[in-house]
Amino acid sequence: MHQSVSSGWPRAGSVRHRVACEYCDTLHEVLLLPEGKAAHCTNCGKLLYQNRPESLQRAIALGVSVLLLTGLMMFFPFISLDAKGVESRMGIVGAVVHMWEAGSPLVSLAVGLFVLGLPIFLGAGLLFLCLPLSRRRYLPGMEVVMRLLQATEHWVMVEVFFLGALVSLLKLVKLAKVELEIGFWSMAGLMVCLAGALAGIDRLELWDRIEHAKERRER
Amino acid sequence: MRAVDEGLASCHTCGRVESASHHRCGRCGAALHVRKEASLQRCLAFGFAGILAYIPANVMPIMIVNQLGIEQANTILGGVFTFWRMHAYPVAITIFIASVLIPGLKFVSLGLLCAAAAGKLRLEGRLANTMYYLTELVGRWSMVDVFVVVILAGVIQLGNLMTIQPGGASLAFGLMVILTMLSAHAFDPRLIWDRLNKEPI
Repeated sequence: MHQSVSSGWPRAGSVRHRVACEYCDTLHEVLLLPEGKAAHCTNCGKLLYQNRPESLQRAIALGVSVLLLTGLMMFFPFISLDAKGVESRMGIVGAVVHMWEAGSPLVSLAVGLFVLGLPIFLGAGLLFLCLPLSRRRYLPGMEVVMRLLQATEHWVMVEVFFLGALVSLLKLVKLAKVELEIGFWSMAGLMVCLAGALAGIDRLELWDRIEHAKERRER
Repeated sequence: MRAVDEGLASCHTCGRVESASHHRCGRCGAALHVRKEASLQRCLAFGFAGILAYIPANVMPIMIVNQLGIEQANTILGGVFTFWRMHAYPVAITIFIASVLIPGLKFVSLGLLCAAAAGKLRLEGRLANTMYYLTELVGRWSMVDVFVVVILAGVIQLGNLMTIQPGGASLAFGLMVILTMLSAHAFDPRLIWDRLNKEPI
């Protein structure tokens, strides 16, 4: 039982299952892949689907890490400055609020959404899907959450923000003594976990698992 | 054999292959289309709006530095030059690539892809795939300059010594990135392959 959950998805290999290439629309039959392998379009070479190893378990672990690290990032300072006795300290939430007060509410909203809101949604959404699915359970609303996850995943910009932080550091070290705080290191970890969470599970696999769990419940 | 030749459509959201006569996907409930709807129009509309935002993004100041009562407005290109003069070449190059080069190349790439999809230009299919893939991949990285402003404005609050205010370009730049991402997302690479399939071999 446990073996069959982790190796390959429920119905890959059944004749009814077909997939069309996202780029060139070439039709393929879905074949069962060994773990860690990917299928590519025979016409244009675009990735069709993949069978990621231990996908559900990894998504659960990374989803939990994403939530924990986002929490740390929100509640601890990011960088602190000491310029000849004048001290200043910045947290991510503080920076977003400051942007709002400085007269740029739209920029403030964008940062809040792309760097805080969406990572939280992504972590929570993955857990909402993968925890029940790892026991082949279906919950109402899974389709909606999955659709929202797919629509928002391109907009998560934690790693871009981190590059921005590195560029800022180079400006800041000229002005003052800079201290990197817990928030900074949490973001470094969050960046890795998010990348892993997004790449660790195939979207066709997740949809297939949702459909399978739903049919099982209805039977 | 393409899905469309068999009267099938693959759901743009969940990938399920269904009869193209259905209006909604039976699995995820998303609207079912053979090709993304009004793909070219939307791609071009968002693209041109992005080009419009690209102008103030580079002309207006991205941040205003107030140091000991003296205000100084910085533009993005000004920042690149400052880092270059500080001999911080990797940083200067990073900012130049992320803020100036990537948006510019994205406009060119989307323009070429749209021209190919409209049949005005012949692009080799796999080359078009790569161009589209890269355009979608690098889109977010242009946001880096907006984030730098947010971080600097947030952390440099040293009273009279030095404060930093966001400038108008931070909004224009953020809008430009969002618009080009929407533009890339609206484009349907299948249109290019449809053209290639129509041509006699």
